[in-house]
Amino acid sequence: MRGVTGAFHELDTTVAAIEDLKKKRLGDVTVYSPTIRHELDHAIDAPVSVVRRFTLVGGLLGVSFGYWIAIWSSNYWPLVVGGKAFASWIPYTIIGFEVMVLVGALSTVAGMFINSRIPRLTTTTGYDARFSGGYFGIFIACDAAKADQAEALLRQHGAAEVRREA
Amino acid sequence: MASVAHPVREGIRGPNIASADVQLPAVRDYEQVDRDIIATLGFTKKWFLGLSVAVLAMLIGASSWIYQIYWGLGQAGYEPPVMWGNYIITFVFWVGIGHAGTLISAILYLFRAGFRTSIYRAAEAMTVFAVMTAGLFPIIHIGRPWKFFWLIPYPNWRLLWPNFKSPLVWDVFAISTYLTISTTFLFIGLIPDIAVLRDKETNPMRKRILSILSLGWRNSDREWRHFAKAYLFLAAFSTPLVLSVHSVVSFDFAMALTPGWHASIFPPYFVAGAIFSGFAMVWTIAIPMRKWFKLEHYITLNHLDATAKVVLFTSLVVGSAYLIEFFIAWYSSVRAEQEFFWNRVFGQWWWAAWTLLLCNMAMPMSLWSQKLRRNPTWLFILSLFINLGMWFERFVIVVPSLSHEFEPWQWGHYTVSWVDMSFLVGSFGWFFMWFLLFVKQLPVMAIAELKEIVAPRMKHGHGHGHDHHHAGGHE
Repeated sequence: MRGVTGAFHELDTTVAAIEDLKKKRLGDVTVYSPTIRHELDHAIDAPVSVVRRFTLVGGLLGVSFGYWIAIWSSNYWPLVVGGKAFASWIPYTIIGFEVMVLVGALSTVAGMFINSRIPRLTTTTGYDARFSGGYFGIFIACDAAKADQAEALLRQHGAAEVRREA
Repeated sequence: MASVAHPVREGIRGPNIASADVQLPAVRDYEQVDRDIIATLGFTKKWFLGLSVAVLAMLIGASSWIYQIYWGLGQAGYEPPVMWGNYIITFVFWVGIGHAGTLISAILYLFRAGFRTSIYRAAEAMTVFAVMTAGLFPIIHIGRPWKFFWLIPYPNWRLLWPNFKSPLVWDVFAISTYLTISTTFLFIGLIPDIAVLRDKETNPMRKRILSILSLGWRNSDREWRHFAKAYLFLAAFSTPLVLSVHSVVSFDFAMALTPGWHASIFPPYFVAGAIFSGFAMVWTIAIPMRKWFKLEHYITLNHLDATAKVVLFTSLVVGSAYLIEFFIAWYSSVRAEQEFFWNRVFGQWWWAAWTLLLCNMAMPMSLWSQKLRRNPTWLFILSLFINLGMWFERFVIVVPSLSHEFEPWQWGHYTVSWVDMSFLVGSFGWFFMWFLLFVKQLPVMAIAELKEIVAPRMKHGHGHGHDHHHAGGHE
C-alpha cells in the first residue's frame, strides 16, 4: 500500500495533524499509538466498535445452550425422585450462567480478533517499531499525487520523521 | 489543541477522584516505562535460587503423588467419617487465592480504581497459576487420576449424563470457566505488551516467537478501539464470574446436611474470604517483587495503602461472618449446631479455630493504622499470617464438621499425614515455579496501561506530570 508515514514524539502535534488531515481528505488515515489516548479517539472520531454485537450474540447462545443441555439431558435420562420435576430451572441457572460467560467472553475475543484483523503475521505498511515505544504514528494511504501534500502537512505539524511507503 | 488540553470526557464524568493517589511522579515518559519493565526480565542469581526452591518443593509433592498412587488414598489420612481432608482444604485455599487477580483486573477496572494498574498483571498471572494449582487437587483426591476425564460433563458409553443438580458438577463448570476466562483475560491484556517486547528484541529467534505471540499487533487505532471494547466486556463478564466461582465452591459445603455447613451465609462469606486471601497473596508476591525488581516507583506506598484498605474491609466482612455463624447456631436452638460450634472453638480442633481468628480477625485490625498500611515489611509479614489463617479457615470448615456430625457414634478423627503435608508444600512449589517462570518471560506490569497514567510529551502546553490520565485503564 502506498502512502506517507509520519512519526511524532508529542501527543498534541499528532492530534493537530490528524484533525488537519481529516479536513484535507488526502486519504485513509491510520494512527499508531503506544497506548490508548482519548485525545486520539476524539480526533479520529471512529464509529463505535461492533465487538459488542459479538458479545451479545455469544452470551445469548451460551445461556440458551447451558439451560438446554441441562434440561434436555434430565428429560433424556430421568433421575426419578418422588414429587420432583425431572428438570429444575433453579440449579440449572448455574449451568446457564457459566456457559453464558464462557461463550460470551470467547465470542468477544473472536469479535476483537476479526475486527482488528489479527492474528496477522505479515508486516504492515506504515508501521514502525517506535510506535509501540514512545512515538505516535500517522499513516496516510494516498497516491503519489497527494503524497507531497501529505508529507508537507506532517512536517508542518512537527513530525520527527516523515517517510514515503512504496 | 483544545481537544488535548480539555479531554472531552473529563467534563462529562468529572474529575477522577482515584487518580490523585496513584500518580507515578518518578516515571517521566513512555521510554522509561519500557526500560524499567523490560529490565525486570533479566535473569539473576536470586531468581535461579527461588526457582530451584520452588522446583524442589514441587518435586516433593510429585513424589508423594507417586507414593499415594501406589499405596492408595489411605495415605492421605482419610479415616471414616472424615473422607475429605487436606485436598479439599487446599483446593478451596487456592481457588480463593485465585480470586484477587480477576477482582483487581475486572471489578476494580469497572470501578475505575486507579491503584489496580501497577499490580493487576501480577495478580492476573497469580490467578491463573492459583486456579491451575487448585485444579490438581480434585484429580489427586479421586485416587485414580487417569480417570480424571470422568469429571468432564459428557455422556458416558451408556449415554448417561452427569447430574446437573449436583454441586460437584456446578463446580466443574465454574472452575473450568473461571480458568478459561482468567487465562483469556491475561493473554488479551498481554498482547500489546508482547508487541513492545517484540519491537525491542534483537535476537531473531526470540523476535519471531514474540511476533507470533503478539498476533501481529501494531498499535493501530482500529486495534485499540476493538481492544478497549473487548476488554470492557471481558471485565463485565468476569465481574459476576468472580463472585459466582467461590459461591459455587461454597455450595459444595452448603448443599450438604452437615453441621456447620448447611448455611445460606456461605456464598458471601466465601467470596469475602477469597478476596481477603487473594489480596494477601498479592502482597506476598508483589512486595518482594517491587523490592527485587526495583519497582518502588511503580508500586508506591499509595498503592499498598489502597490494597491494605481492601484487606481491612474484607477482614471485617469475614470476621462478621464468623460471628454471625456463632450467633445463628445459638439463635437456631438446634442442639447439634450449637454443640458443633462450641466444639469448633473449645473442642479437639480449638487451636485451628483460634489460629484463624487471630490471623484473620485480630491481626488485620492493625491496618487501621495508616503507618502500618504504608509499611511494606509489616504488610508482607501480615500477608503470611493471613495466608496461614485462611488455610486454617478451610481446615476448620472441613475437618471439625465431618468429624463431629449429628450422632455421637459417627464422630471420628482425622490425622494430617506426611503425604498431605507434602502435597501442600508441593502445591506452593508448583504455584511459585509457574509464577517465577512467568516474571522472566513476560512483563510483570502492564506496559501499555502504565503509559496511560504517565503524561505524554506535549509540544505546547502541559506534559510530563500534567493530569491527563484516567485511573481505570482502557475505556
